Amino acid sequence: MSAVTVGTPTILLASTSAGSEAGQPQVVLAIVLGLLFALGTFLVLRKDVVRVVWGVTIISQAANVYLVTMGGLRGAVPIISHGGAHGEVTDPLVQALVLTAIVIGFGTTAFALVLTYRVYEEHGTIDLTEVSGR
Amino acid sequence: MSEHVVVAPLVVALVTAILTLGTRRYPRGQRAVSLLGIGAYAVAVLALASRVVPLGVLTGSGGTTETLTYQVSNWPAPFGISLVADALSAFMLVLAVAVVVPALVFSALYVEEFAQRVSYHSLFHFMLAGVTGAFLTGDIFNLFVWFEVMLMPSYVLVVFYGRAEHTRAALQYTVLNLLGSAVMLVAIGGIYATVGTLNMADIARRLAHAGEFGIDPAPVLGLGAILFAVFALKAGIVPFQFWVPAAYRAAPAPIAAVMAGVTKKVGIYAIIRLLFTVFGTATVGGGLAPARIAEGLGFGMAGKSFLGLFGPVLFLMAIGSILLGGLGAVSRNDLDDILAYSSIGQVGFIVLALALAATGPQAVRTAGLIAALVYSLNHAIAKSALFLISGTVYEAVGSIRFDALGGLSTRRPILASSFFLGGIALVGIPPLTGFFGKLLVFDTAGKAIVAGEPFAGVALIVALAGAVLTIAYVSRAWNRAFWGSPSDPVTRSYQPTALVAVVAAFVLLVAVLGIGFDPVYRAAEAAAHAATDRTEYVEAVAPEVIG
Repeated sequence: MSAVTVGTPTILLASTSAGSEAGQPQVVLAIVLGLLFALGTFLVLRKDVVRVVWGVTIISQAANVYLVTMGGLRGAVPIISHGGAHGEVTDPLVQALVLTAIVIGFGTTAFALVLTYRVYEEHGTIDLTEVSGR
Repeated sequence: MSEHVVVAPLVVALVTAILTLGTRRYPRGQRAVSLLGIGAYAVAVLALASRVVPLGVLTGSGGTTETLTYQVSNWPAPFGISLVADALSAFMLVLAVAVVVPALVFSALYVEEFAQRVSYHSLFHFMLAGVTGAFLTGDIFNLFVWFEVMLMPSYVLVVFYGRAEHTRAALQYTVLNLLGSAVMLVAIGGIYATVGTLNMADIARRLAHAGEFGIDPAPVLGLGAILFAVFALKAGIVPFQFWVPAAYRAAPAPIAAVMAGVTKKVGIYAIIRLLFTVFGTATVGGGLAPARIAEGLGFGMAGKSFLGLFGPVLFLMAIGSILLGGLGAVSRNDLDDILAYSSIGQVGFIVLALALAATGPQAVRTAGLIAALVYSLNHAIAKSALFLISGTVYEAVGSIRFDALGGLSTRRPILASSFFLGGIALVGIPPLTGFFGKLLVFDTAGKAIVAGEPFAGVALIVALAGAVLTIAYVSRAWNRAFWGSPSDPVTRSYQPTALVAVVAAFVLLVAVLGIGFDPVYRAAEAAAHAATDRTEYVEAVAPEVIG
C-alpha cells in the first residue's frame, strides 16, 4: 500500500533528474528514506501487532526506494560501458530487482496479516505485552 | 558453459513441491510423490557432488575438484544469474541431503494425516528448494531471493500447529526475518551501487583490484557488515539468537531438525562465502576519503584486510554464543529447549573456528575452515537426530518435559541408546564425528597460538568451557529423561517402532562417518580450499566480459 504512495514520487524524481543538476533528488530521497526508516522503526516498536506489521511493511518498502535510489538517478552506475554514445541512462537492473522485491513483499505482508489475525484468534488480543505475557 | 547437473537438484525440489500440491486429494499418492522426490533430490545432489569432488579426491588416490557453473537462460555472467557448484556448495548440499531425507521419512510417519495432506509436503520441498538455491547461487540478489523462498515456507511451518504458543513464536520469527530481509536488500543495493555488479565472482574480482575499477572498498566493508548481520540472524549467533528457542519449540519435530541442521547452516555457508570467497582479498584502501577519516579518528583501518577486521567481531559473537548457549541449555527443563540452546552454543564453535580462520595466516585459515565444516556436518546430523528423538519421545510418552519423563532407558532401550549416541556425538567422544569436529577446532586454536594470533589463547579457554558445558547439559538431559525409575507416563508409553527405526538408523551416521572419517576430512579440505580459492571461482564463472 505504501508502495504506491511512496513509489510514485520516486519515479517522477528519477525522470526529472536526467539533467545535470541531478544532485537535488538524491538529497530529497535521502531525507525521505531517513523519514521512512524512522517511521517504520517507530511502528515496529509499538505493542500493537497490526502497527508492527505496518512498520515492517514500511521498512521493506523503504528498502525498495533505497534500491531505486542506488541505481543512480543520473545513470551514474551503468552496468555496461556504453562508450558515451548513448548519453546517460538510468540503470534498468534496479527496477527489475525492486519488482522482485515488491512481489516477495506482497506475499510476506499478506502472510503477516493473516498471522496477526490468527494471533488475535488464539490470544484474544493484539497487544504484544499481553500476547507474550501468557 | 552450462552444466545442467548444477541446476538438477533445484529443479527436482521445485517440481516435487508443485507435484505434491497437485496430488493433495490422494494422500497416499502425495506421500509417495514426496518420498520419491526426496530420493530423486538425493540422487541429483550426489550426481552433482561426484562431478565436483570426484571419488578419487575422497579416497586420496588423486583427481582434482572442479567448479561447475550454470548460466540461467544462457545469459552470460555477470548479466545473467550464475549458479556455481564448487566443493563448498557440494559439501553443504550433501550435508542437507543427510538431514532432509531422514527428516522427511520421519515426517511421513509422524505428522498427522490431515496436516500432511493440507500443505506439509509442498512446504517442505519449497523450503528445500530455497536451501538448495542459496547453496548454489553465485549472485547476491539471487541469494536474497532464495533466502525468501526458504523463509516463507518456514514461517508457515513454525506456526504449523496453530495454537497460542505457536502463533506467538511464529509472529516473532516472521517479523524478525522480514526486518532481516529488508536490511539485506539495503545492503545488496548499496553493494551494487558501490561495486557495480551483483555477481559474486565479479564482486570478488573487482574488490581484489579495487583501484583499477575505481571502487572505494570502505563502504563495501560497512555494507558487508550489514549483510553479515543478516546471515548471523539466520544462523542464530549471539546477539541474534533470541528467536531460536521459541521457533524450534513451536515447529514440528522434523522441521525443528531441518531448521537446526540445514537452514542454520545456510547462514554459516553464506558467511563463509561472503567473507572468505567474496571479500577474501579485499582491503580497505588508504587513499580514499572514508578511510582517511577513520584514520584521523584513530581507527586506523587503512590497508587492513576485510577478513582481519571481521575476525574480532566473529570472535566476540562466537564466545557469546558458546557461553550463552551452554549456560542456557544447562538450566532448561524440556528436551526441545535444551536442544535449541545447545544449537546456539554449537554454532558458536563453528563461528569460533571461522574467527580464527579469518585472522590467521593461510595455514590456520584452511585448518579453521575445515574445522568449521566438519563441525557443521556433525552438528547437522547429531542435532537433527536429537530433535527427531525428542519428537519420538513426545509421540511415545506424550511429553518432553523432564518432570514427566525419567527411566526411558529401561522402557525404550533403542530410543535411549539413540539419544545417548547423538548426545555423546555433541560432547565429542571418539570415534564419532563430534570428536573430530572438536579436535579440529582445538587444533586450529593451537595452530593460531603458534602463529601468534592475539585471541587464540582465549579461544582455546572458551572452547574448553563450552565443551564442559556440553558435557553438563547432555548428561543432565540423560539423567533426567532416560535414567532413574520410570515415571507414570513413561510406564504407560507405547513403542512407535517405525519412528524409532528411522532415528536409530539416522543417528548411526555419526558413528559410521566418524569411523570412516578420512573421506569426510578430504571433502571438507576440498571445500575449504574452494572457499579460499577465489581465482578458480572467478575463472569458472568468467565474468570478464565487462571492462
